Amino acid sequence: MTLLRTLATRLASGVLVLWIVATLTFGAMHATAGDPAIAILGGPDALPTQAVVEEVRREYGLNDPLPVQYARYLGRLLSGDLGESYRLRTPVTSAILEQLGSTVVLGGIAGVLALAIALGLALVGAGRGPRVGGAITAVEVVITAVPNFVIGVGLMFLLAFQLRLVPVAGEQGWASLVLPVLTLAIPSSIVMAQVLRSELDEVLEQPFILTARARGLGEAGVRVLHALRHAVIPLLTLAGYVFGFLLGGTVITETLFARRGIGRLMVDSALTSDIPMVIGISLFIALSYVLVTLIVDLIAAAVDPRARLA
Amino acid sequence: MARRSPRLHPWIDRRGFVGLSLAVAACGPGSGGGGGGRGGPNGDFTYPASDYRSGGGGKRGGTIRIATSTDTGTLDVHAISHGNVQWLGRMLFDNLVYLDATGAISSWIAREWTISPDGLVYTFRLRPGVTFSDGMPLDAEAVRTNLEHMRDPRTKSPLAAAYIAPYVEGRAIDPLTFEARLAYPYAPFLNVLAQSWLGLISPRQIREAPQTIADRPIGSGPFTVERYVRQQGIRLKRRDDYAWAPDVVAHRGAALLDAIEVDIVPEALSRYAGLAQGQYHLLADTPYAKAAAIRADPALVVDSRIRTGLPWRALSFNTERWPFDDVRLRQALALGIDREGITRSVFFDEFLPSDNFLARTTRHYDPSTKGKLPFDPADANRRLDALGWAARDTDGYRTKDGRRLSATLIAQDSPSATPINVAVQSNLKKLGFDLKIELLPTPVLTDRRNRGDYQAVAGGVWHTNTPDALYILHHSNEITSPKRIGQNVSRLRDGRLDDLLERARRTSDDNQQRVLYAAAQHRLIELVPSVPLDENHSLIAYRRELKGLVFDTSHNTPQFLSAWLEPTA
Repeated sequence: MTLLRTLATRLASGVLVLWIVATLTFGAMHATAGDPAIAILGGPDALPTQAVVEEVRREYGLNDPLPVQYARYLGRLLSGDLGESYRLRTPVTSAILEQLGSTVVLGGIAGVLALAIALGLALVGAGRGPRVGGAITAVEVVITAVPNFVIGVGLMFLLAFQLRLVPVAGEQGWASLVLPVLTLAIPSSIVMAQVLRSELDEVLEQPFILTARARGLGEAGVRVLHALRHAVIPLLTLAGYVFGFLLGGTVITETLFARRGIGRLMVDSALTSDIPMVIGISLFIALSYVLVTLIVDLIAAAVDPRARLA
Repeated sequence: MARRSPRLHPWIDRRGFVGLSLAVAACGPGSGGGGGGRGGPNGDFTYPASDYRSGGGGKRGGTIRIATSTDTGTLDVHAISHGNVQWLGRMLFDNLVYLDATGAISSWIAREWTISPDGLVYTFRLRPGVTFSDGMPLDAEAVRTNLEHMRDPRTKSPLAAAYIAPYVEGRAIDPLTFEARLAYPYAPFLNVLAQSWLGLISPRQIREAPQTIADRPIGSGPFTVERYVRQQGIRLKRRDDYAWAPDVVAHRGAALLDAIEVDIVPEALSRYAGLAQGQYHLLADTPYAKAAAIRADPALVVDSRIRTGLPWRALSFNTERWPFDDVRLRQALALGIDREGITRSVFFDEFLPSDNFLARTTRHYDPSTKGKLPFDPADANRRLDALGWAARDTDGYRTKDGRRLSATLIAQDSPSATPINVAVQSNLKKLGFDLKIELLPTPVLTDRRNRGDYQAVAGGVWHTNTPDALYILHHSNEITSPKRIGQNVSRLRDGRLDDLLERARRTSDDNQQRVLYAAAQHRLIELVPSVPLDENHSLIAYRRELKGLVFDTSHNTPQFLSAWLEPTA
């Protein structure tokens, strides 16, 4: 019963978050985006006839006062209608769905790869004493400090330009996934590896590890079978952060490697003052955050009895 | 108005900004070899008639891949003003008329036409046997349906509707004779009908399924849309029974290429790397910062072509506001803009400086304007002294009656436009003029611009295939008001100029037009509503195995009808 009640509270607060996001984006876009009719018609240098401008104002209800537009907009949101994109002239929902698959594939593969790299790095690097540990930390800090864009360009010139192993850009088969996946996975894996390794360092000092070793278990066995289980819990709480990191990273990787996806759609829409699209994507991202944190909390509670759903 | 914009308008050519040029220079295939193609520091920027005419020959078959920076968002060319329509439209659609290599009107779907003596009635005689890819004939009724679709407010046209604004009604006299009536004489009517934004779409699709035009438009052009995925790309395949290319192009029958793939690649660096690596055969919008590297690669060709219409402006003055309401001040300041220096330092000499208000490739460009708007800071200083701005304050700026000679320039906040604005600011500072730059997000800039709330505005360009571009930018009817949106950002009202531009619109006599447009160009040099900076280039780059490119007479962009691939040995 407690679980159900907690779930209900969580969902209610999720809805509240979505409403706040919708309202803030609506306000921000209308405050800074200028005349929406002009944005719809192609921006500063369009040459629309007056008849066209009036048709756009009428069709989008832009002549109504802002509170009326806001109420109508919320009403439409409640019925699940995100409106029509100014720029693409298609429904926002279908535009997001059209781009979503590509981002999910990219983010999913990069996430899994990042986790694998992080586990490998942490298992190999943990408990190796201050000198080795310091060296690893130094490398990690450097990689974390390098912007995603630079990593991407570096990889592009090495793998695509010099070695010619993969295409530079585009979406032609699995080979074209290599560069964006690596660009996205490497920085996220470092973040996870850092957390995982410091946790492992700590766990490896614990008495039960000594016990395991005393039983004659090999080093690999100790690390994988005993230490790792304990170190995974803090990684779980990091999942929301990694999710955001991956999502944010798609903005750069999708642009650099010419992949379609949510990140690129967001940038293009913001640059063209495509208000319905920007609001739609913001809501979509907020919703996925709400869901991810909820799921992570549920898993954490299942894995670790100490973590109760609050 | 901005150098870099998320959208590619006919007048905004995206000068791709490259953040990491060092990395590219270090990794690029370093080799000497002669420069490929025309343009750049050694280019002469003249285009022989053979550029616009198919040389014949070539092999049938093959697929080429093109990279471009932005997606048009929709393929309904009537509903957008995106610059990619210039070359993309030619693959999918045909137009009523075409221009010849000199910019004069020539036949296409209309084999001939007559204009009534009062300039109000245009009668087109259409070529028989032309069909859309859905089987519909391209007849007089199809032309009428298209003009209606362009001006229908529901199409939300930002360009085509304004271009045919004087069009009142049309009728099919017989299946192959179309008559258009105009509200007033408008000679550029034929020119705009030749532009890609006014390509002809299947009348059945317009009537029965207009919402499908955006994704899968049905045209009568040499290629048809096989797939269009937004933000990813377009795949086009050859239409085998195409047989009605413009006479000027001199290509018989269908296209040679089997298919064309267009990838949307927003990052300039990725486009360049993709071309050099061989993934792409052609870049539609080449980053100018990479042009020298591409030219140095023996496998690649750069072709830089000046678009017709208006050149880029360094800045436009608001002629209604102090201090730029004084024409003598505008004249003095214009002498202080070092266009050679700016194009060299900001554009690596890839773009040609311009001292005229009309692009040099436009019909009726008057070469006698050359040198009339020079860079002459000494003369500028003399004139400013004579205007009473001789005193200087402690910062070195000119003053009169205790007031500093200063104004604010509104500009778009963009990494590629800012260097130009800063260069202009520094040019004017040398004259003792304090130009402040106010960076604004595009929508706010648009609002301020439309309200006329500025002293000066940065940048700006307009591409069209007729000298009527001068009317669009400088006639007093084109000042934005609550009633209509126009492009006269200098808010110039000059009776003499208005009269010249209006008369040029009303006459179809080529010689008379020449005289009127020449007078208008000279008048603009006296009025300096803005300061021209450099020509508006279409910068393409391609691999040498791509042969048979022909250029479009309206837009100076590549056409692929007679293109083919010849694998390098």
